[in-house]
Amino acid sequence: MTIQIVLALAVFGAAYVFIATEKVNRVTVALVGAALMVVIGATDDKEAFFSEESGIDWNVIFLLLGMMIIVGILQQTGMFEFLAIWAAKRAKGRPFVIMVMLIVITAVLSAFLDNVTTVLLIAPVTLLICDRLGTSPIPFLIVEIMASNIGGTATLIGDPPNIIIASRSGLTFNDFAANLAPIVALLLVVFVGLAWLMFRKQLHYNPERVERVMALNEKEAIRNPRLLVISLVVLTLVLAGFILHSAIHLEPSLVALLGAGLLMLLARLELRKVFADVEWETLVFFAGLFIMVGSLVNLGIIGFLGETVTEAVGDNYFGAAVVLLFGSAVFSGIIDNIPYVATMAPLTNDLVNAGGAAAQPLWWALALGADLGGNATAIGASANVVVLGIAKRNGHPISFWQFTKYGLIVTGVTVTLSLPYLYLRYFAG
Amino acid sequence: MHASDIATTLPIVDRHTPALKAAGLIAAADAGGLIVANSQGEPVGVVASVDILRLLLPNYLRDDMSLAAVVDEKGSEEMWTTAANRTLGELIDDDAVRMPDLVAVDADATIVEIAAQMADARVRVVLVRGPRGTAPRFVTLPAVMDAIVRFATQSGAGA
Repeated sequence: MTIQIVLALAVFGAAYVFIATEKVNRVTVALVGAALMVVIGATDDKEAFFSEESGIDWNVIFLLLGMMIIVGILQQTGMFEFLAIWAAKRAKGRPFVIMVMLIVITAVLSAFLDNVTTVLLIAPVTLLICDRLGTSPIPFLIVEIMASNIGGTATLIGDPPNIIIASRSGLTFNDFAANLAPIVALLLVVFVGLAWLMFRKQLHYNPERVERVMALNEKEAIRNPRLLVISLVVLTLVLAGFILHSAIHLEPSLVALLGAGLLMLLARLELRKVFADVEWETLVFFAGLFIMVGSLVNLGIIGFLGETVTEAVGDNYFGAAVVLLFGSAVFSGIIDNIPYVATMAPLTNDLVNAGGAAAQPLWWALALGADLGGNATAIGASANVVVLGIAKRNGHPISFWQFTKYGLIVTGVTVTLSLPYLYLRYFAG
Repeated sequence: MHASDIATTLPIVDRHTPALKAAGLIAAADAGGLIVANSQGEPVGVVASVDILRLLLPNYLRDDMSLAAVVDEKGSEEMWTTAANRTLGELIDDDAVRMPDLVAVDADATIVEIAAQMADARVRVVLVRGPRGTAPRFVTLPAVMDAIVRFATQSGAGA
């Protein structure tokens, strides 16, 4: 083992520790880590910027950028608020029915939009509805976080780990929908049952408060009907572009960018407003992360690990899927699932390349473990942290353990249920 | 004319002041902001009226302004009752709120000096340094403007 490899592993390990403990801003950690990799000679400008194997994955960065622009414009329409209030009124103020409707709305929206945006839009309207109902919003906010992480698992664009997996594996939007959406739909049904078991005693129906919910006027939430129509048309076109990938031969990143450009052109909003919702920090974090992981690829560390794991797995791909599923869930509960998947994707790629079609389900084990594992703890996914912040600001703090005790149950059940799905669909017989 | 000639006393609040009391002080004085004192009662900063208005609103309406339109008249009235539980401490601790430090001038500062300090710090009120133990006095932006207009008129510039 050369001194360069030792130094690169030390930089990578230290970066993981800092990201996991959140002692230093994660963007700073990723950039400093990438800079140190350059200093120790583990990467250079050609590798970092132009290599498909060991450089910044521009498909991931630009897919995220395009979707952030589209969602940023869409969220100015008031559609999300309309849906949530409409659902609460249809439920006639019955708390558990409202909870189920919010779970479904959040999960479906999360499948097509990023999880953080979805919860940022759903949480305030949930607080309003609970305020009108005179009930605690905490159970509602907790289930929305979890529904967002479960729903985001269903599609290529639903959760950033899936975007990384898609780019590294070459799997399409349709592959994700066909392989993950069925189990996600099943998990959502189970999750509704879990929500009833976990929170039924905290939900109180107060007929006197119902009229206050019914008095909310959801139509007033739609601020710009023209923008709503345009946004929905463009979003539909973008989704059609993802689905028709094999016919139009456009990568999802290009489809998203073309959609974002078209929407900007039609929406005629100030550029400042359009770009205000782009999470530049997240994009830079991804870039730094790719350079760090790419440095390990350059030095042959990932290749060596891939060979070692491939040898250890042999042709026992179901065993590998079990380890990947549960291991990913545990890791994702402890650290951000983005750096975890960025590291595991090249390794999984080696395994799949060695095993061919028989090893392909390992991608789904990685996606299910990493995405569903985000529900395990209060810091398991970005959506969790964002909603807990909103809850605290609004006078309803949710402690780490208050969330985590429910998170562990939901993660345990959903990940465990994913195992028979993987077995029956890909390995049985 | 010096700072001491146009200085006046102003209501001072602290982190324990209820939001509704602060709102009442602003309404009564038509003030653009309130002076905030530290735990020793010394004036340390200025909180803008519009930030106190933010404090009166439920947080979720600040997170998503479009929700304000969906609430009916009765619901709107009920919302102000929740504001009664809030204090200025929440505003002072809010990272999104900028509470500029109080700018201080000497009692013999000229109007030009005060105007320059206000323009530089972009504040509407400055503290006039005085002997320890005396009630704090302040110069407000309208008082400075008034003095400037009077000087300019006397010298014929405004004619």
